[in-house]
Amino acid sequence: MGVTRKIGIAAVVVTVLAGGSLAFVQDGQDANAAAQAAAPAGSSTGDNYGNDAGIQPIAFPHAIHAGTNRIDCAYCHYSAERSVSAGIPPVSTCMGCHAAGKVQVQSEQGQQQIEMVQEYWNDGETIPWVRIHKVADHVKFPHMRHINAGLDCTQCHGPVQEMGVLQQPDPAWGDGKMGWCISCHVEQDVSRDCTVCHY
Amino acid sequence: MSADMSSGIKRRDFLKVVGVGGVGAGLTGCSTESAEKLLPYVVPPEDITPGVATWYTSTCNGCSAGCGMWVRTREGRVVKVEGNPNHPVSEGALCQRGHASLQALYAPDRYTGPMQRVNGELQPISWDEAEALLAERIQGAAGNVLFIGGAMGPTMADLVDQFLSSVGGSRVEWEGLNEAPLREATRIAFGRDVVPHYEFEGAEFILSFGADFIETWVSPVQYQRGFARAAGVDDEGRKGEFVYVGPRLNLTGQNADEWVPIPAGGEAAVALGMASVIAGRIGNAGPYAEILQAYSPEAAAEATGLEAATIRELADRFQNAPSVAMGPGVAGQHRNATAANLAIHILNSVAGNVGSRVRLVENAQSAPSRPYGEVEAAIRSMASGGVGVVMVHGTNPAYGLPPASGFNDAFAGVPFKVSFATEPDETAAMADLILPDRHFLEAWGDASPRPGVYSLQQPAMESVPHFDSKQTGDVLLSVATRAGSPVGPATTYDHLRNRWQSLHQSVGVAQDFEAWWRGALKSGVVEVPVPATEEPVTLRQPDAALIFDTPAFDGDGEFVLMVYPSSRFGDGKQANSAWMQELPDPVSKIAWHGWIEIHPAAAERLGVDKGDVVTVTSPHGAVELPVFTYPGVREDTVAVQMGMGRQNSGRYANGNGVNAMTLLPAEAEQPSGGLVHLATRVSVVPTGDVYRLATIEGSDSQSGRGIAPAAYIGSLGHSEDAGYEGEGEGEGGYEEKPLEEMQMLGGFGAVEVEGKAADWPLPGTERGDYADPETPRWAMAIDLDKCTGCSACIVACQSENNVAFVGEDQVRMGRDLGWIRLERYYETVDASHAGTLDVRHLPMLCQHCNNAPCEPVCPVVAAYHTPDGLNGQVYNRCVGTRYCANNCPYKVRVYNWYSYADVPEPLNWQYNPDVTIRNTGIMEKCSFCVQRIREVQNKAVVEGRAIADGEVVPACQQSCPAEAIVFGNIKDSTSRVAELAENERTYRVLDKLINTQPAVHYLKKVTFHEVEDAAH
Amino acid sequence: MATLTEAQKRGALAHPDVDLHEEVNRDILKMLSAPGKGWWFLFSLAVLGVGLMFGSWGWQIYRGIGVSGLTSPVGWGAYITTFVFWVGIAHSGTLISAILFLFRAPWRQSIYRMAEAMTVFGVMTAGLFPLIHVGRVWHAYWLIPYPNARYLWPNFRSPLVWDVFAVTTYFTVSSVFFYLGMVPDMAAARDKATGFRRKLYRVIALGWRGTDRQWHHFGKAYLFLAALATPLVLSVHSVVSWDFAMSIVPGWHATVFAPYFVAGAIFSGVAMVITLAVPIRKVFGLEAYLTTKHFDAMAKLVMLTSMIVFYAYLTEFFMAWYSGEPPEKQMFWNRLFGHYWWATWIMLICNGMIPLMLWFKRVRHSIPALFAITIFINIGMWFERFVIIVTSLSHEFAPFAWGVYRPSLTEMGIVIGSFGWFSFWFLLFIRLLPPVAIAELKEVIPPRMRRTSGGHDGHDAVPATAPAGD
Repeated sequence: MGVTRKIGIAAVVVTVLAGGSLAFVQDGQDANAAAQAAAPAGSSTGDNYGNDAGIQPIAFPHAIHAGTNRIDCAYCHYSAERSVSAGIPPVSTCMGCHAAGKVQVQSEQGQQQIEMVQEYWNDGETIPWVRIHKVADHVKFPHMRHINAGLDCTQCHGPVQEMGVLQQPDPAWGDGKMGWCISCHVEQDVSRDCTVCHY
Repeated sequence: MSADMSSGIKRRDFLKVVGVGGVGAGLTGCSTESAEKLLPYVVPPEDITPGVATWYTSTCNGCSAGCGMWVRTREGRVVKVEGNPNHPVSEGALCQRGHASLQALYAPDRYTGPMQRVNGELQPISWDEAEALLAERIQGAAGNVLFIGGAMGPTMADLVDQFLSSVGGSRVEWEGLNEAPLREATRIAFGRDVVPHYEFEGAEFILSFGADFIETWVSPVQYQRGFARAAGVDDEGRKGEFVYVGPRLNLTGQNADEWVPIPAGGEAAVALGMASVIAGRIGNAGPYAEILQAYSPEAAAEATGLEAATIRELADRFQNAPSVAMGPGVAGQHRNATAANLAIHILNSVAGNVGSRVRLVENAQSAPSRPYGEVEAAIRSMASGGVGVVMVHGTNPAYGLPPASGFNDAFAGVPFKVSFATEPDETAAMADLILPDRHFLEAWGDASPRPGVYSLQQPAMESVPHFDSKQTGDVLLSVATRAGSPVGPATTYDHLRNRWQSLHQSVGVAQDFEAWWRGALKSGVVEVPVPATEEPVTLRQPDAALIFDTPAFDGDGEFVLMVYPSSRFGDGKQANSAWMQELPDPVSKIAWHGWIEIHPAAAERLGVDKGDVVTVTSPHGAVELPVFTYPGVREDTVAVQMGMGRQNSGRYANGNGVNAMTLLPAEAEQPSGGLVHLATRVSVVPTGDVYRLATIEGSDSQSGRGIAPAAYIGSLGHSEDAGYEGEGEGEGGYEEKPLEEMQMLGGFGAVEVEGKAADWPLPGTERGDYADPETPRWAMAIDLDKCTGCSACIVACQSENNVAFVGEDQVRMGRDLGWIRLERYYETVDASHAGTLDVRHLPMLCQHCNNAPCEPVCPVVAAYHTPDGLNGQVYNRCVGTRYCANNCPYKVRVYNWYSYADVPEPLNWQYNPDVTIRNTGIMEKCSFCVQRIREVQNKAVVEGRAIADGEVVPACQQSCPAEAIVFGNIKDSTSRVAELAENERTYRVLDKLINTQPAVHYLKKVTFHEVEDAAH
Repeated sequence: MATLTEAQKRGALAHPDVDLHEEVNRDILKMLSAPGKGWWFLFSLAVLGVGLMFGSWGWQIYRGIGVSGLTSPVGWGAYITTFVFWVGIAHSGTLISAILFLFRAPWRQSIYRMAEAMTVFGVMTAGLFPLIHVGRVWHAYWLIPYPNARYLWPNFRSPLVWDVFAVTTYFTVSSVFFYLGMVPDMAAARDKATGFRRKLYRVIALGWRGTDRQWHHFGKAYLFLAALATPLVLSVHSVVSWDFAMSIVPGWHATVFAPYFVAGAIFSGVAMVITLAVPIRKVFGLEAYLTTKHFDAMAKLVMLTSMIVFYAYLTEFFMAWYSGEPPEKQMFWNRLFGHYWWATWIMLICNGMIPLMLWFKRVRHSIPALFAITIFINIGMWFERFVIIVTSLSHEFAPFAWGVYRPSLTEMGIVIGSFGWFSFWFLLFIRLLPPVAIAELKEVIPPRMRRTSGGHDGHDAVPATAPAGD
């Protein structure tokens, strides 16, 4: 992404953050650490851009979209019900609401973020989101089977609707490791055959 | 469709995703890499769902057969090609070369962009400059433009011709494998300028005079399927006979029931001898009556050293059954090839096969196969300086023509040479300007394999971003415009649509064009009724002088040299595919390197053995090759494969073997003008060197183990204890043994083996069932009477399951990773006289034993049995003790000795994201395409329905042209596999000896001769 | 323990030339003095070997197991061969110290310490090879059962898992046995040594004072451990043999394997003891302690086991013929006359023919002859395992998949290096710990001080190690 945009982000960051949290932002190294550190603030207000900028090119507060505005997950993650992968929303989906002057955003930080989205759209560029949820490459996780079985997204992804910054739910919730999967498969009494997930 | 093709950004952007993260799934990165980027679309193409494959139809251009393709793409990147079931030619199957076209798409050696040769060095140049330069040169050439092209689709051909007519120039075509003599003979005999279509189905007596219709001849996929349907035994125990006449057994010949090993060039004599016998009875030889007088069986016998009785007997069988005979093919293109083909036409004609099983109108091949004669003329005019600009597209004459033709010098002499090669080749190596064409999976085009069949070729993905290529059609159009003589619309796509618009009108369907066009893109093929013409069954007066005698051979060497097309490389086109190089040749089972086939007796006379290097000298050249002793070639004949010995190709082809064409004269057969391939004698002299050939063949004898038993056709229908009790002494090789004894011989624990295979107790169920109580039990049936050993399944599997290639030295050590090993055992192969032939082909893959020896020995339960009857292999659990491989009696487990999967960009783009990529230290094997099973299961569960029989199709079954493989749920008694498992021919390899209870059920090959001892 | 009189008799038999306990202490403990040039030379060779081994192994881990010559169908080769070889070597130790102890064999005292050391170091070497031969050694710990959230356990049906248990058990018991037997001697060494060594020995000696109670408990513990170790001699190599016998590979799948392997192990083990004892005896001038009687006895043991092993070979061939199964028959035919015929004949000649010379007393009493013969036996036994593993795998059920295997340089580097690794420890041992059991020797040597009249006892001489049991 362009230098100007980088500067833009930095500016936003500075304005939003009190000096203390600045440290987190500047080291992009440990995104999750930064995110977790900032999480409480985010989840409380549901409005939290600056911290997100440390991880994501654009601050996308799930708390506002999925929480405050109660947008269904599948609205953006459109293939979760019919595919193994949930799908990352195309920029056009963002523009569906955020095309110039459609949705009024109260906070002016928010406005700045949305302008960035529009910039991407106008350049015909895609937004390089950073991947937060990832299983090992030799694990096959068919989303459609789990949605179809009536699981709620939050059962694996944590209380996304409260996250100003999307992050792995803390290990107490579930570490996304095999033991975690198995324990649930045992509770639900569903297959524990290896080649259900490994092939 | 076209909409989102033109706005390329989406596909290409999504490819970035693939580039960053998704290329296959490796076993290396097990931690979450937060650095990984997710790149969504800007606007999602309506036809792509992440994680769900999207299929496009296209047309294979691996050879001129024009098989229909289904192209599987994931997130905008092609990951596999399969046969298009709607297509009348291939009917869903695809050959090994077709699969390999995928590697050409991602070939790391492809040209990265247009280039100009500046004092010997290739310099990158922009498309704009390049086109300007070419336009300027063409204007300068003042009409002396020569375009040398390969076989191309109608639209492209038309476009090129328009271009040439506007800028002033001529086009010649050069295809290494063309049937000019057959075409000419057809014209002479019946007055139709086509390559006939041969209808195998319904034939009960098939006679091939050397045509390799399973490997390369005319339309191999279609003909192999037809052959398998005709020669495979049916439920009534009827089976078509196949007799092969020729000096060398190619793979097609190995599938024959009888072999008549005539000397090279003797086809005409035998065919006419037979024809004369038949004509003598029902005589309608027409204008050829007196020729037949001259060729009595006795005369033919004298000419070929056969018994006259043999020929009469062949004639009887040919006349008394619905029969078909076909010509010598490329390997048999000698100086009298047209006459030979004509003789076979006469034979077919007198036996009344023309019009029924030899079709001259319906289904006849219309793919132009222009003769070598034209090329000769072109070379002359190049040499005489009559050519200002020469353009080469889709063919490689600098490699494919015999050096004697003088092409290279003439070509080098042309002031400006342009190559449209996609990847480097010998001709491009001499070119001044290189304008890389797109691979056919990235480009628009069409084909018309026969009258009435129009097949579309559409881009299945945006062009691979590593390579800045441009469709040659578009280049020509823009050059024409720059040169001041524009040709119609600006893009190939528009030309294509225009042509199809006119086609649409000519067909006169109710639909409006757009709908019809989208329908055509969807199904990939359009069939329009051909104007009904009467099949010209009667023979015409010959209008050319023909000699039916055995042709002359150059030189006075001890052996006649046969140069035969490769079933892996064709004429060398697919040589730079690592898959093709590593695929063991179906006949010799040798990978990567070249060889010369010599009869064991002859080899003994020469004092050489397998691997000894010999010098092969013809009057036209000399090469050095290691020996492969092959009982399937006459003692007075040696054979060398085409397509090897590339010099300026990519990293996988260069330097493997030698180019057989260097031994041949550059001579056009008369009157057809086809290039002669069977024209010279050679002397063979040992050099004393030894070359360790990379072969997968351990032993060509079954050593009395009944690995691939056969059933005498007379014994069918008589055995009471059919099915799993089928093989007793003399068949399976082992007599029945009491259960205990079998367990002593290697069973693990007392396993009940009475009853049907479907009822065997299932290990592994303690690991829990799937949701529904009706857990399927997957099994496979392979009909060895249909299997021809063509090896298409191996490549299909390799492509589907990310099976890595390992290179020559690793194969030499025995480390090839093929999940399917096509075993080839000789039973009766005798070149000394006409008679019975018995070669057994058996695809050996993981048998998914229900009492598997590999499972109990794995210390970490990486090898275990799944509840649905698979022998699971959990890659990420494998520690790599190799105990399972040691204990596998079928030796189907292969091991990653290194990280073979690290292939150069962008070859890794081909990897199937649904299958884990294995790195070093991991055991792998056939998984019954478990990813496909799971895909269907997931779908079925979400849609809340049961899985239908035949819904799960593993890659090998999908691509098998012979329809020999059937996969399904054996617990469902109505499924085809359950039915076949109870067939009287069914047996399970080694089951009687070590009680492994395989889930793979083989159906014995059926022979026309008694099978005596246990080895059979 | 034996009563003194018996002991005296036997001692008189075994060590006619030794008559003073002081001598024993002097002669044995002098071995612990500063090493000479020869030792340093050998030791540096050993260190080189260790370097070679771990260098090659490192390279193999870095590049992948492919740097070995292993291939399909021969997935096991030189590594497993050497593993079985060293496990075999490791056998004589426990056999000689434990079994011969229980049977009161009169000639064990002066050799068993060496044999035990050999056992411990042998297992230490063997134990490395299963790790070396797996493709993903960083996951090898998965063979050990440990509770985990993934509900995953090793496969208890797999002989390889049994192997892990068998070998580790054997290693534990034999090293404890080795250590226990050494305690009194360490005390003796402690009292003689000075400086660092004194500190070291003090720790090892566990405050041994040679009191009657200590001797009493020592005796009991030793007896029990001996009884405990004895079945292991049989179990370990039986389990190792089941790695092969439990599979269905023609040439492996045979019931004779367990006894056959145990006999072979003892055979190779005792041979190795002789091979090692000869030079040590010469270098340290222990002729008085390692007499021809000892060698004669061991040679007889070698001869016996050699015949058992050879009989097992014949049984294998007979059963193959008798089974009537083509794969079995052809495999054994191939063993004799196939691609690896030379290995088979080396095995038959070295293990079957050459030991026959031991029938002659003259040979049994000629130290050089014994040395040469046992060297041949060591070679022969390595090839026995090579033949069993490689020839069987190269010609299995599916003829089309037959193949051959050529060991690679890296592989050979590791195999040869393993001898360096073994010698490294053994050379350290003979310099740091008494290679001959002082205390037990004294048991069998009539103690002078008992015959001298008067109250002055011999405690001043060797206070710590007065013989117990009276």
